[in-house]
Amino acid sequence: MRRLLAVLALVVTAACAPVPSGAPPIGGGSPVPPRPAEAAELTEPPSTADVPPASCDPTASLRPTGPLPPPGQMPAGSTMAEIQARGRLIAGVDQNTYLMGFRNPVSGELEGFDVDLVREVARAIFGDPGAIQFKVVTSEQRVPTLERHEVDIVVRTMTATCERWQKVNFSTVYLQAGQRVLVPSNSDVTGIESLGGKRVCATKGSSSLANVATAASRPVPVSVAHWTDCLVMLQQGQVEAISTDDTILAGFAAQDPYTKVVGPQFAAEPYGMAFPKADEDFVRFVNALLERLRADGTWARIHQRWLGDPPAPPVAAYRD
Amino acid sequence: MLVEAQRNRGALRRVTGLARSTPGRLSLLALLLMVMSLLVGAATATSVQRRSDALEALADRSEPLAFAAQEVYRAMADADATASSAFLSGGVESATLRGRYEADVAKAAAALSAATGEITRSPELTEALSTLSGQLPVYTGLVETARAHNRQGNPVGAAYLREASALMQTRMLPAARELYGVETGKVVRDLEDAGSLPWPELLLGLLALVVLVLAQRYLTRRTNRVLNPGLVVATALTAISLLWVLAASLLVVYNASASKNEATLVDLLARARIATLTARGDETLTLVARGSGATYEAEYVEADKVLDDLLGRVRVVDGAPPVAEAVEHHGRWQEAHRKVREADDAGDFTAAVALALGQDARGAATAFDALDSDLVEAIGTARAELTGAIGRARAGLGGVVPAVVVLALLAAAASAFGLWQRLKEYR
Repeated sequence: MRRLLAVLALVVTAACAPVPSGAPPIGGGSPVPPRPAEAAELTEPPSTADVPPASCDPTASLRPTGPLPPPGQMPAGSTMAEIQARGRLIAGVDQNTYLMGFRNPVSGELEGFDVDLVREVARAIFGDPGAIQFKVVTSEQRVPTLERHEVDIVVRTMTATCERWQKVNFSTVYLQAGQRVLVPSNSDVTGIESLGGKRVCATKGSSSLANVATAASRPVPVSVAHWTDCLVMLQQGQVEAISTDDTILAGFAAQDPYTKVVGPQFAAEPYGMAFPKADEDFVRFVNALLERLRADGTWARIHQRWLGDPPAPPVAAYRD
Repeated sequence: MLVEAQRNRGALRRVTGLARSTPGRLSLLALLLMVMSLLVGAATATSVQRRSDALEALADRSEPLAFAAQEVYRAMADADATASSAFLSGGVESATLRGRYEADVAKAAAALSAATGEITRSPELTEALSTLSGQLPVYTGLVETARAHNRQGNPVGAAYLREASALMQTRMLPAARELYGVETGKVVRDLEDAGSLPWPELLLGLLALVVLVLAQRYLTRRTNRVLNPGLVVATALTAISLLWVLAASLLVVYNASASKNEATLVDLLARARIATLTARGDETLTLVARGSGATYEAEYVEADKVLDDLLGRVRVVDGAPPVAEAVEHHGRWQEAHRKVREADDAGDFTAAVALALGQDARGAATAFDALDSDLVEAIGTARAELTGAIGRARAGLGGVVPAVVVLALLAAAASAFGLWQRLKEYR
């Protein structure tokens, strides 16, 4: 009996003895959220190397020299004649900005407000809106591509600024945009002023990014390569807001019903078509074309197609 | 202390006493020969067993794992290239492309679970494997999000696809490459282990023979008899054992070196196939980028150069029809790619896409598909040769270990018997 008890006691002790601490944890279980390629948090404002001249009015462009020549009969020796001889207009556009310049996923074609304007330019030169070679450029590549003369024209939600005027030429303003803020619909952010310390997305090389970086509320700017990358980051909760021109934001809101555009326009963004610095005759030609598009209702029709009820077209300003 | 020293001295005296008398010496010699036969037998058996273990590891683990790693790498690269093609084709992707993508994901997951099963064997791969198995569901999630947006006509779908592709290119494919490199390295290492020249076996066997011959010369001098039947039998058995082991080992060495060539060929072909997929992905992405794809085109050129080099090296070692056809189809693809680039650079985007994706016999898609299936066929043949050679090597080693043990026991018994015959004369 005693022995039995002793054995029992031994068994109980053995059962209760601490197991040598074991069960190693499973490694590598922490999530690593994916990010768009080239997404980066900005630690300092994007460089503004050249100080713009004080007297600059970025919306004033070169005055047209007369009525438009008929399609297919460009004046000899002009930039337009070179383009006509080549047989196609090489245009820098975007394929990632819904409503402005985007690739229609169903047809694979490039469409949008900017793209329709490029087609009008092609129509004015060739009489054929399809004689275009599109070259997709990112915000950052716009000025360098023009400086290397790889494209004849850039129509890509490009704000005319004095800094950019030093490297390229702009047409008269073809759309007046203003920078605002897009947030998830359940966010209590009311505008750029309530984004202090929060991550705000814009594309690299855009004026929007510079405006975010220099905003008084000191948000944390996050730069990406393409505008849609911002929407991806917002949908994945990696940024709290997107801040850029209301035209681009409208495109985001159209793709995601759980977002809203908030706050007032805090920076004016007049869009101009951009040209290589040397091609002044082409700028004057396109300005004449824009005059006509504003006057004959084409501009309003394109606006109606992509951006809704048209306001009065922007008034052309000239610096001669 | 003192007592112990005396006892030791006593034992020593007994042994030296034994060594001084002839019967004593004969007993010691018998003991020595038995122990030697058994030790040499055991050591030889161990050495043969080690070779056999290396072959078993090769056939059962390293080679299948290397193949699994290759499948992981291949399937992931292919999934990425296919997803880009499906995107470029516009609209709802074709059933063929969708089927190919789904097959890739299924294959990648299956191969990954095979590779992960052996994770305890390769702790250095823990990180790569957990990256791969952790990110694969994330990757497919992004691709499906992209599809959902594409179906609704939202351009943000393209951004999700770019994010998925970046995840694949920057995190998953490097991990897959590491996995493949390590597993392929293990195949080569196991083949080297199995195919090492049988020096230990040879030296041990020769040592045993020399000792047996010396013992017989000693006996001849001592007993005036030319031959001792027991020792002659022991010598013969030892020689048989040595020859058997040498023959079997040399067969393994021969087959292992053949396997090494096949393993190199499989590796070259697998890398050629991955380069093919990379080049195809870059070709497609160049068009997706629409005029700003210079970096992708540069990557295509890079991958194509690698492919060219690999195919050239494959051709040196393997002149089989699929390889020759692969070289030809590669040439045709390069030609088609040139036309794609010409059309795209001249501004004819629609023609470029049609050349790249269309089922035209002279198009890039047809040449790529043909090249890919040539490589699949060549890899299948080379892998069958590899596993065949490993199997032949294993078959050669079959039964060698028990034979060595039995022969060693018999040799020991024969030595003992032979000396017992002489010892009896001193009774």
